[in-house]
Amino acid sequence: MQRSKAPVSVEVKQVIGALCRLLTATGLDPVPTPETFRRAKFGCGNEEDQFWQLLASILQNSGIVSDEVCTQLRGECRKLVTAGLWQTGYYADWMYETEERGQEGTGFSSRDLLLALGWLLAAGTLENLMTQRVQQLDRTLLISIPVSRVFSGQLPLDSGSLRRLQWLTGCLRHQGRTLLSMLQERTKVLHAVLSVSLSSTGPSCSYQSSTVLKEECVCMRQLCDVLEAYLKWKQVEKVFWTWMDSVVDGHLTDPVVKSSPHAPTWSPRVCHHGNQGLEKLQNVLSRLPTAQVGLLCMKESAHKRGKMTLFLVIMIFLCSLQDGLEPLSSLSSLHTLTQAYRPRLKAESDSCPVRRSAEGSSSGTEVSGVIPVSEAAEMLLHEEALLLERRDKQRLANRMQLQEMIGRLDELVLIPP
Amino acid sequence: MSIVTVQLGQCGNQVGQELFDIICSDAVEGQRKTYSTCSCERFFRQSSHGELTARAVLIDMEPKVISHSMTKAAKSGRWRYGEHSHFSQKQGSGNNWANGFCVHGPRHRDVVEELVRQEVECCDRLAGFMPIMSVAGGTGSGVGTYVTQCLRDIYPTSFILNHLTWPYGTGEVIVQNYNSVLTLAHLYQLSDAIVVHENDTVHRICSQLLNIKHISFSDINRVIAHQLGSVLQPALSADSHRVYSRNPVGELVSSLVCHPEYKLLGVCTIPNMPSSSIAYSTFSWPGLLKHLRQMLISNSKMEEGIDWQVRPPSGSGWPRNPTGGGSFNTSLANLLILRGKDVYSAETGGFEDPALYTSWLLPEQALTMWKSPVSFNKYEKSATLVSNSQALLRPLDDMVGKAWNMFASRAYMHQYIKFGISEEDFLDSFTSLEQVISSYSQLC
Repeated sequence: MQRSKAPVSVEVKQVIGALCRLLTATGLDPVPTPETFRRAKFGCGNEEDQFWQLLASILQNSGIVSDEVCTQLRGECRKLVTAGLWQTGYYADWMYETEERGQEGTGFSSRDLLLALGWLLAAGTLENLMTQRVQQLDRTLLISIPVSRVFSGQLPLDSGSLRRLQWLTGCLRHQGRTLLSMLQERTKVLHAVLSVSLSSTGPSCSYQSSTVLKEECVCMRQLCDVLEAYLKWKQVEKVFWTWMDSVVDGHLTDPVVKSSPHAPTWSPRVCHHGNQGLEKLQNVLSRLPTAQVGLLCMKESAHKRGKMTLFLVIMIFLCSLQDGLEPLSSLSSLHTLTQAYRPRLKAESDSCPVRRSAEGSSSGTEVSGVIPVSEAAEMLLHEEALLLERRDKQRLANRMQLQEMIGRLDELVLIPP
Repeated sequence: MSIVTVQLGQCGNQVGQELFDIICSDAVEGQRKTYSTCSCERFFRQSSHGELTARAVLIDMEPKVISHSMTKAAKSGRWRYGEHSHFSQKQGSGNNWANGFCVHGPRHRDVVEELVRQEVECCDRLAGFMPIMSVAGGTGSGVGTYVTQCLRDIYPTSFILNHLTWPYGTGEVIVQNYNSVLTLAHLYQLSDAIVVHENDTVHRICSQLLNIKHISFSDINRVIAHQLGSVLQPALSADSHRVYSRNPVGELVSSLVCHPEYKLLGVCTIPNMPSSSIAYSTFSWPGLLKHLRQMLISNSKMEEGIDWQVRPPSGSGWPRNPTGGGSFNTSLANLLILRGKDVYSAETGGFEDPALYTSWLLPEQALTMWKSPVSFNKYEKSATLVSNSQALLRPLDDMVGKAWNMFASRAYMHQYIKFGISEEDFLDSFTSLEQVISSYSQLC
């Protein structure tokens, strides 16, 4: 999933600037300047320290590294970052090296740290940080109460309990919506009250209220800053990733990089951005249309032959899907089964019919009422085999007859008129 | 809390008008200030002169019905429709769902959305939307579905309660089953709850209970409006602390439709009688509730001809026959609304029987009760049951079956294809309704 390189331009600096502002707004300190980022890309200069600190504080603030570990590793930024990255599933050669070797080591540069930062951002750490910050600042926000997730050993897993759970979930969802509309009303009323009181008392008095209000005001301003910074970042995020791709490219083509025994097995030119779920989904999606194409082909064949209704085709298609077969490609004349079937969803408990014949259609005795899919498929196949056999026999008979006729005609002389 | 009603098509505009009429006359009658204020806030906005304007948007592709409804409302002298809150065109949808959904809907989207937005802005707090429409025609069903979709897009967290009128089984429109299948399948994804009235049932109520000789659509609409009104008028719920509940749609939805596979609601009321006889009749709560309970379990939608043989299954291993005739009607959830005199003395234990409900929901979760000491629409005592049960399974199954038969022979398909509804769309709709049928038939 390589990103296009099109929009890379001068704006990169501004884009990184947006990221830096967002990082600052989420409460990280210190944050390297955009220029430091640029230099880190080329692995020159001494920006490492700044990035070590940044990574350490990100890992610490987002709770990836527990507080205990933090206090244990106080002062050992490098170990802390390595441990944290390990926990997020990041892998790099330099993480194996001891500190002394690392410093002497030839391969390591601030670019490695930049890549690690990219990994963390792609893994959604930024959003986590922001959520935490917003929760800190907005005290009116209802934060879900931590419920102990220990279930009793006999958790009922039957369909009844599942449905009850679904019902209760729906109930909660509706309550949530009701609360939301109450909140909206409250806001509206509050706004009305505020605007009335503001206009009556004048703006001079409004700031004389308690310190609590002032604090609240500061918090709100910070909250707005965070949200604004995030919005701005989201608008330009794509450019950042394009730039990050160029960092990866640089990292891969750089001759300084040595191969290691722990070399990863995946293709080095493919950038994953830690999003394999998406790939999986795409795989699934790419497989889906083929089924539809199959259905279309069958529809066409049905139209051409004109000997059976589309629904039967769909039915066979459904059967074949169920049996894991490819859609049947040849559909011979099926004169005994040309009625329309209505597909039904099968009841969970009983082994009853998957479909039943449509009302009012003339049906043979064996197909009146309902037929399970597998049985119908079998019948159809059987029918096909019979017809094919009959066709072959007929062909043979025809050929014999023709030959006989030709034999008789041998002695005949035809004179044109 | 206010409900914004969207009246769509001929049926929707007529039913809506009757509904507002009944609600208004019920609200302003007598000396019951709180009840009346609450009801008016729900359905009307009040001008400084005290004039009531319905919180409604009227939409049709033909001008006739809308202007008729507006005139009728104005003539009542009690309330009227907003002067500009209606939209109509010259050319109807020709009973074609595809024409309504794919052509008329998108073409007039902006105008309709603007009308709705204006109405929403007049509410202090929006309780939800109630699109009223039929499923048989073109405008109500097609444009109605499209408008519901727009509402869902713009107001994702608001409650949407669709009221649908199902056509006569014998047929009003040749393609009514197509239109019904497409409407229901789409609404099932969009709506929070779907309240259904069947024309056949209401017709029987008119002829057998109200003794009307020549039944017109207006009579039918009045019965529907009465039943809907008895659900939507203010009532006290268990946790409303003696204050009229302010969120009727939300509470209705959260007590009846919490599971996404079960959204169809049927309504039945008791008693129903000609207005001339009301004064000479007396009712007792035990009698009314006993009848209503039997109506529920035997799935007879009116008082006349109740099958008293049907009993709730007892013990385990119930052999329940889901679609068979005369069988027990299993409920998922019920909302019982009692209005009138001595309402607090009414004994409702019969509805708390676990045997009435599906095995996976406890009666206390499945049964909700609303009560109001104020009598409704001239009935001294009346009981309404909104039920999420298998009651609509049969008519739905018939509808889908008939539509499928037509689809199997490709009847009238070109009419839909030319407006952009493909066979695939039809198949999708059939599939999703089969899922609904299957879910309801496995309810036990």
